[in-house]
Amino acid sequence: MGSAGRHMDITVGVLALQGAFNEHVQLLRVAAKILEAKDIVNRTWVFREIRTEAELNSCDALIIPGGESTAISLVAQRSGMMEPLRDFVKVQRKPTWGTCAGLILLAEAANQTKKGGQELIGGLDVRVNRNHFGRQIESFQADLELPFLQQADGDELKPFRAIFIRAPIVEKLLKHVVGPQTDEEKVDATVVAPSRPIDHQVAKKIHLKGVEIMGTLPGRAAAIKEDETKKLDAEAGDIIAVRQTNVFGTSFHPELTGDPRIHVWWLEQVVEAVEERKNP
Amino acid sequence: MATELPTRATNGGPKNATGEENFTVKTGLARMLKGGVIMDVVNAEQARIAEEAGAVAVMALERVPADIRAQGGVARMSDPKMIKEIMATVTIPVMAKARIGHFVECQILEAIGVDYIDESEVLTPADHAHHVEKHPFSVPFVCGCRNLGEALRRISEGAAMIRTKGEAGTGDVIEAVRHMRTVSAEIARAQNMSDPELRILAKEIQAPYDLLKETAKLGRLPVVNFAAGGIATPADAALMMQLGCDGVFVGSGIFKSGDASKRAKAIVQAVTHYNDAKVLAAVSEDLGEAMVGLNVSTMDAKDKMQGRGW
Repeated sequence: MGSAGRHMDITVGVLALQGAFNEHVQLLRVAAKILEAKDIVNRTWVFREIRTEAELNSCDALIIPGGESTAISLVAQRSGMMEPLRDFVKVQRKPTWGTCAGLILLAEAANQTKKGGQELIGGLDVRVNRNHFGRQIESFQADLELPFLQQADGDELKPFRAIFIRAPIVEKLLKHVVGPQTDEEKVDATVVAPSRPIDHQVAKKIHLKGVEIMGTLPGRAAAIKEDETKKLDAEAGDIIAVRQTNVFGTSFHPELTGDPRIHVWWLEQVVEAVEERKNP
Repeated sequence: MATELPTRATNGGPKNATGEENFTVKTGLARMLKGGVIMDVVNAEQARIAEEAGAVAVMALERVPADIRAQGGVARMSDPKMIKEIMATVTIPVMAKARIGHFVECQILEAIGVDYIDESEVLTPADHAHHVEKHPFSVPFVCGCRNLGEALRRISEGAAMIRTKGEAGTGDVIEAVRHMRTVSAEIARAQNMSDPELRILAKEIQAPYDLLKETAKLGRLPVVNFAAGGIATPADAALMMQLGCDGVFVGSGIFKSGDASKRAKAIVQAVTHYNDAKVLAAVSEDLGEAMVGLNVSTMDAKDKMQGRGW
């Protein structure tokens, strides 16, 4: 590795407390090869499993994988990782992507959690509904239209075959507030993440925006749910991918497919974020 | 995890109505459980303790293997009422056991909506020769194995997850180790074989050739593989993880010990930090009484559950 390229080294961590973390590492490696082929900048990618605070501190960006969100949350607390994770995502505001359980942990509010609730990291001003579709026999695959995967060269956008396993959805976009989402706290059986204000220096470079909807699952709820209220919601489709500035969440599992397109796209976002942060 | 399970590995299961394998969805849940602990529970209260300890799933059954062993008699599928109570109490996946070959117990468990069925040698087998044909079910299955041939026969029938059997209800980890090492050694041997040699091996171990060939290519089982049967301490759990399994089942080891909640939490931490001896030392401290063990080496063959399954 030449010293000329060293400043472009980017370390991406995958939280490895529990769940399908290795699958993300595999797809990141595939995505990095694709980027290498089209990149002119000399860059070395480092992908590592993260279990400790020291390992987390070495990362420029982080993926929180699918798994059991209650287990990941409890292990994080007992491993002294919950506050470092909140610092990484909310105070340092480094690029983070959560899939399924990861999306739940990155939400500022979540419902249908276990008795006594669960600890959230936060970072996305949304409320998620855990196990929205039901139990395992309601797990499914579906084709998604994800406009953000449209390449500049204008090739026809192929649908993304997405796998939903006991998946959550984003049921509400929340207004960004200073401090915790206190209105959400009043909603029955809903837990909220503690507030951690963004670092002053970081805030000069990153303008925290509202939540963008990056993908929906049209019609699905209408097809499977009997009751009328759910049918109305389904007209607009269930929200299954969101982004707020550089924190990204998907309720499905791109890491269980052989399709690296979302990983490629996300690594490109990471490059942009890392470069912006380095520029004065 | 010693060897990666490729994101597109499948066992070539039959296509569903839309012409697509739903096996990905079945194995997908198993992948989400990796690096975690699945705990045997006999009621809603124990299920809550397991959930609070950080279990990734619970196995609902009426008697833990240690009690089945002590009480004898025919062990069957649990009362659906009790399984439903557990399902209503926790938000993590709930698994339940059916007898080997008892496909109607499986139909019932699917109808209740359990998240995974364990076709288990811990219960008294219902069929002397057949296992359940698992592909037609929507609910995924986990099955036990002692060696590679048994694992591949179960995967061929549609198991989306494998657990090495060990010897349930003993608290003696030696059989869990034996079965994990046996599977690994057989895979290592298969990796160095030519195709004609693999055909002979497939006959010898009574495994489908195509699955054996895929396993040899991957250098690991083509589905998620947990360890089970005799894990009683955090060190036992980390031992199985270092031997290359993807996670662990703990049956009698938790709720037959002195301080179930503390031991359960310690085993969960041990599975995450299985390569960090300092963490293992810290979580092993002051756990109270472990379950009273049964030494497998002094047991009669007829008392062992691992020989059930064909």
